[in-house]
Parts: sequence; structure tokens; C-alpha cells
Amino acid sequence: MASLLRPLYWTIWASPRRRAQKLLQFAEVEAEGGRDLVRASELTVDPVLRRLFLAHARDEERHARMFRSRGLALGVGMPPRAGNTMFDWISPGERGLDDLRIKDEHLGSLLAFIHLSESAAARDFAEYSSVLGHDPLTRSLFDHIGRDEEHHMRYSLAQLRRVASGGSRALLWKARLRRLWKAYLRLASAIAGIMSTVLLTIQYFVLLPPFALLAKFAMRREQPGWTVLPPALDSKSGREF
Amino acid sequence: MKILGISAHYHDAAAALVIDGLPVAAVQEERFSRAKNDAAFPMAAIEWCLDQAGLEPEQLDAVVFYEQPALKFDRILTSSLRSFPHSWRSFPKAMKNMLGEKLWIRGIIASQLGVPGRKVLFSGHHMSHAAASFLTAPCGEAAILTADGVGEWATMTIGAGQKGKDHATSIKLIRELRFPHSLGLFYSAFTAFLGFAVNEGEYKVMGLAAYGVPNRVDDVYQVIQRTADGALELDLRYFDFHSRAETSFSKRFTDLFGPPRNPNEPIDLASQDGRRFVDIAASAQRVLEDILVDIAQALHRETGFPDLCLGGGVALNGVANARLLAESGFERVSVPPAPGDAGCALGAALFADRIHFGQPHRDVPDHPFWGPGIEPADLLRLAREDDIPVEEVDEDALLSDIADALWQGAIVGWMDGALEFGPRALGHRSLLAAPHDAALRDRLNRDIKYREEFRPFAPVVTLEHAHRFFELAPGAERLGRFMSGVFPVRREWRERLAAVTHVDGTARVQVLDPPMAPRLARLLDLYGQRSGIPVLLNTSFNLAGEPIVNTVAEGYSTFRRSGIDLMVAGSICVRKGGQRHEALSEAAE
Ligand SMILES: [Fe+2]
Ligand SMILES: [Fe+2]
Ligand SMILES: [Fe+2]
Repeated sequence: MASLLRPLYWTIWASPRRRAQKLLQFAEVEAEGGRDLVRASELTVDPVLRRLFLAHARDEERHARMFRSRGLALGVGMPPRAGNTMFDWISPGERGLDDLRIKDEHLGSLLAFIHLSESAAARDFAEYSSVLGHDPLTRSLFDHIGRDEEHHMRYSLAQLRRVASGGSRALLWKARLRRLWKAYLRLASAIAGIMSTVLLTIQYFVLLPPFALLAKFAMRREQPGWTVLPPALDSKSGREF
Repeated sequence: MKILGISAHYHDAAAALVIDGLPVAAVQEERFSRAKNDAAFPMAAIEWCLDQAGLEPEQLDAVVFYEQPALKFDRILTSSLRSFPHSWRSFPKAMKNMLGEKLWIRGIIASQLGVPGRKVLFSGHHMSHAAASFLTAPCGEAAILTADGVGEWATMTIGAGQKGKDHATSIKLIRELRFPHSLGLFYSAFTAFLGFAVNEGEYKVMGLAAYGVPNRVDDVYQVIQRTADGALELDLRYFDFHSRAETSFSKRFTDLFGPPRNPNEPIDLASQDGRRFVDIAASAQRVLEDILVDIAQALHRETGFPDLCLGGGVALNGVANARLLAESGFERVSVPPAPGDAGCALGAALFADRIHFGQPHRDVPDHPFWGPGIEPADLLRLAREDDIPVEEVDEDALLSDIADALWQGAIVGWMDGALEFGPRALGHRSLLAAPHDAALRDRLNRDIKYREEFRPFAPVVTLEHAHRFFELAPGAERLGRFMSGVFPVRREWRERLAAVTHVDGTARVQVLDPPMAPRLARLLDLYGQRSGIPVLLNTSFNLAGEPIVNTVAEGYSTFRRSGIDLMVAGSICVRKGGQRHEALSEAAE
């Protein structure tokens, strides 16, 4: 799969503008992942994990800073372009804890999740590095951060084994399935989103024109400035409209 | 009566509980979910409020939502129709957004809380703002002015309120201004143009304005005009409210003011572009103030009341508030600690109690501390587990230790009692530091708040000493109570208050009435004994991009992750010794 995507990755990372923008996006995702880990450290009662999560969070905050400053350096003079493109989900960065509700997670499944998302990040970053031969600075950034992600991968696995002892394999499988499920949900809701947008846009052009005409007519009669309110307004209280 | 107020789905969701006419709990959802300005339905906040009073949802007499969703839907639909066919891109998004959840509030509240639908009531958005301000202010009758981006249709209202001792309490909204003509949206467009996040970065525009010269006022009056009846009107050719918030200004706007600022690039005052941005900020700020003052003057003439109650997000503009106090003719101006949409949760609940149900007026305690308290013992445990020096000493020794540390340049994370309701830390979740040292301010900006240096930090001083250091107009104590006004620092003190004095010689001072936060007041005295200046720098206890800390564990993790030297929770105090940050490999040991 990864090798199939290689040419695509190459295209994505070829343009400096897109590279700058991707790095800035990654910075945001890393920062968010850092905040998730801070939250995990605040909620856990296990002192070892608390320290680990905090140190991990600091790594992610550092990654965010590194991505950001490289992204800004690459993007100097280019006005930022807003909005997402299709490329964004073809080349994801680290995905934090994948909109996990940390508060409700068991320690074991939380660690399994961390382990898996760190592995995915390490893998992705290695791929990106491999197509960045033309930009050694960005490449070494990915290499450096990738090494950290491998650390994160290892400590989370070690802690998972400690916390869950015999059950760690089952937890990992469960987390894998949940990640798949979440990926499916993301895809499904994206498709549903596109479909409803299409339907609503059709309705907009088919159903709305006469009402739009009326609304524009009504608008023309409207006086600018204050609207005086009826004196008994507050007796209308409590109603939905 | 037991009434729950809810605000949600736009910005900064919150819940508030009123029992027998008095607030017992109020808190923003972000403080629990830890997602800044969380707008989601505030389930955690609601649960905490009910818990606090030991109530089950079925014991509530009413649940009041802070605005009328159907009316809001009407506005969104109508404005889509009016700008047909240009609104084709925004229409699907707006519909999905409204139809998804926001329109069916009664059902959502009924099902989430398990209360019958008939107990769910609605207040108007600006009525909630008005109630949040007037019903909590210490005055019997007052003129009311609310202004924000937009509620349902209204963007600004003026009115009058009377509290009933022997008659019913009333709030009469006399006139309103309707979308799209809005002072809040006007200011937000400039916020976006200057490269800051809308609904969040408005105060940065205010901070930036102090660096500039308002030499573009005439241009600003091209995009916003006064109407003959004293209201205002936006020239819609300059705005585009149908695309994303980041581009609420149109091409015509950028033809007039030049290209917008790239949010990723810092503002360089030495450059021509940098000067352009600060001058535009100063001009927009000036126009906002002038219009507000003019409208308030007319309101004063009309009502004759000595008190003005302000509500809505625009009331967070401390510079404008101070000008309103000085120039509008009102003797006192009140702004509640949470004038924005979060505060509407409390406003809606009080509105239902006093006006919908006609309950007798009761004076609302004049403080912002309606949130969860703290467990200092948690700090003891956390610090011991992490081998961090921790002390539990008696109150006098503790406060003098902290005063010593502050005097020696420490940055102190201070947690005491119940959490503030609203965006400002007013002495229960604060970072405190010495106010004289500009280098300390820079350290705070760099190592803790990670923020732009053009945003000043605020000072706190007790009522007794406030006039010595600040030029407080009559009535300023009221605005200063919840840090709602910006006033000049006396010239002779500016250098010795360098860390809290803005470039134009002003400060957003908190004038502390000691009974409101007695421990902070004592600390100020003790610090004054050492330094000769009983003033401290007071900023909210949180890192950039995070909500203000709520629990001790959150304060502690903030302390561990940043350059805070010392943290206090109640009677427990931890210090950073020589520890450096642990790397992952060491943390496991
Ligand atoms: Fe990372
Ligand atoms: Fe990582
Ligand atoms: Fe509002």
C-alpha cells in the first residue's frame, strides 16, 4: 500500500507551498495530541503514567513548534490558503488520540490507542522522509520527529504490558478494530456530508428562487436603523419563537 | 423555584442554576471538557450544577435556553434568501448546522435531562444578555445596552430595567438593531482582517489599537454609517457574511484598507505594513467607541437613570467601557463578569425567575465565583508522588512566603476557592507576579502564555490603594471590580508598574474589594509591605490555547509544563527547585 502511494506522496511534498501548509497543519495536530496527553496525565492516578504522559506531551508540543517553524520558514511571503484539500486525508500527520474521549477510557485501551497511533505516525513520517530528498531540512525534521514517535511507540507498549499484563494483545486488537471503525465512520460521514450538500444545493436552486424574490422585496421595504419593540415584549417570554 | 439556565451551540457554552432567586452554580463547559470556548451542549456543566445543589433533573421547575432557536433559524434562512444566489455555498452548511441539532433544543434538553418538554422555556438572546447584566448589578433601576455579533435577529438592544421591591421586576427592551447591521460583526470583520480568530481575537485588536494612530477613521466610516435615528448601518458591499468567518470582509474592503494581515507573520511596527495594521486597529476601535458613546448618551437623555448596565460580547471592550463611563453621562457603568454568551446561561435563568415566573427580586451576591472549588490535598499527593518539594504551613507563614517569592521575581500559580464564571481570572485561578519588571512580563509571554507582546497584562490592587496608582474616574471602581475597564496608570508610577502598563500608559486594572477575595487582598498587603507597591500582575491561570484551570490536577500539570515557579492551592504550596523537565526515558523510573 505504502509503495503504491509513493508517487502520490511525492506530488504532495513537491510543491513548497503545499509543503509549508502541510507542516503547519501537522503542527496543529501535534499540539492537539499534546493537549490530549496532558489531559490523560491529569486524569490518571498512576504516578508513573502521569510522568510519562507529561513527558510525552512535552515531546508533542516540541514537535508542534518544530513543524510550525519549518512550515513558516518554507512559507515566507506566501499568503496562507484556507480550507482543506483532498490531499489532507491522503497524507495524515500524527492523529493525536483520534478524538478519543480520554475521560471515559480505560488505561489499557488508552495505551493501546497511543501505541497504535504512534506506530502509524512513525510509519507515515518515514514515508514522507523518503520522498523529501530535495529538501534535506524538512527531511531531517521528519527523521528526528520519527525517532521520537518510535520512542512513544515503545514506551506505550511497555506500559500497556505492565498495566494489562496478559490482556495486552487483546487490547491491541480491540484498539485496531476501533481505529478501523473510526476510519469507516469518518469516511461514511464524509460521504453523507457530500450527499446532503448536493441535495441541499439542488433544493437551493430549485425551491428557493420564488421565496428569494419575496425576501428581496421585503428587504427593500425595510427601514435602516432601530426597530421599535412592542411594549409588552417581555410578556412573550418563554416561547420558542 | 429551581431553574436551570443553558447557553450553547454558538460560542462558549455554559450552565447556571438559580434556586429561590439566587445563583448557586454557574460554569462554562470548556472548564470541564478542556476544549477552549467549547460550544457543545454543556452536559458536564449541567451535571455539575445539579450535583452542587444535590438536585435531580426532575426536581427542576424549569430549564431555560438562552435564545429562541426557531427565530434564529428564521434569520439564517431569510438572510440566505436575501443574498440569493450568492449564498449557494453557505446555504447547505448553514442548513445542516441548524437542522442537525440546534433547531430541536426542546427535544434535546428534554431527552438529555429527562425533564418534560413543557418545562423547557426560551428567553431571547439579548434579553438574556440584558438580564445577566441588570439582574446581577447592584442598582434598583438602570438603562440597559446590549451589543454583540448577532443573537436571533437582534445585534444590539437598548432598554430599561426596574427591580421590584413592591412591584414586579421588569426589563423593557425599547429598540433593537437587526442583523446584518451589527457593531460586533463590524469589529469582528476587522479582527479577521488583522489576522486574528473571530470571537476570540477581538481583545487583541483592542490591544493593538494602542500602538496606532486613528488616522483611518474616515475610511472606517465608509463601511459603517450612522442612520438618522441614531443607530448604525453597515455598507454591505464591504462585508461578506456568507463565506467563512475568516473572510467576513469583501474585496471592496481590501481595496479600501489594503491586503489583510497574514496570521502567521508577526506585526512589525517598524514596517509600513505593520504601521498600517495598527492604525487600522486604532481607527476601528475609535469608531466603535464613538458610536457606543453616542448611543449611550442618547439613552441617558431618554431614561435619565444614573446607572447603565452593559451586556453582550462588545462589553468585553474595556477601553470602550471606560469611555462610556467618562462620556455617556451615566454615573456608573456595570458589566457582569461574564457579559458574553456564556453569561446568558445565568441571564436566562434569572430572567425566568424574576420575569417569567414573577418571583420577588433578591440581590445577587456581587462576585464571579460560581464554579467548582478545589481539593488542596490533591496537590499534596501529586507533589509527593513526583518528589517535588511541598509545604503545608499555616496561613500567615504561607502568605508571607508567597509575598517574598513574588518580590524576588517568582511567577506564582494561585488557586483559591471557587472557579470564576466568565473569561477573566479575578483572584481564584490566577497567575500572579511582580508588576514592576518588564523583563518578567516578557518571561511570562515567552515561557507561559506564549503570546504576542502587544497584549498587556492586567494589574490587581485593593480598593484602598487603587487611586494612588491609577487615574480612576468616579464610578471606575464598579467597572474595575470585574476588570471591565481600562484606565490610565498615574504617570509617576508607570515605570514602577512597567509589566502592567500598556504602551499608551493605561492598564485594565482589577479593583479588588477585599471581602470578594480576602486571601488575595492579604497577599497584596503583604507584597506591598515588601515592595512599597501593593499591586500585582494578575493573569489567568492557563497556557496559551487552553481554558483556565479548574481542578488542582490541571493547575499542577500547567505548573509542571511551564515556567511557573511556585504553585499554591489553598494552604498547600509547591515549588520548582532545580528540576529540569524529565525526558521520557527518565519519567518511567
Ligand atoms: Fe509527535
Ligand atoms: Fe508522538
Ligand atoms: Fe450574544
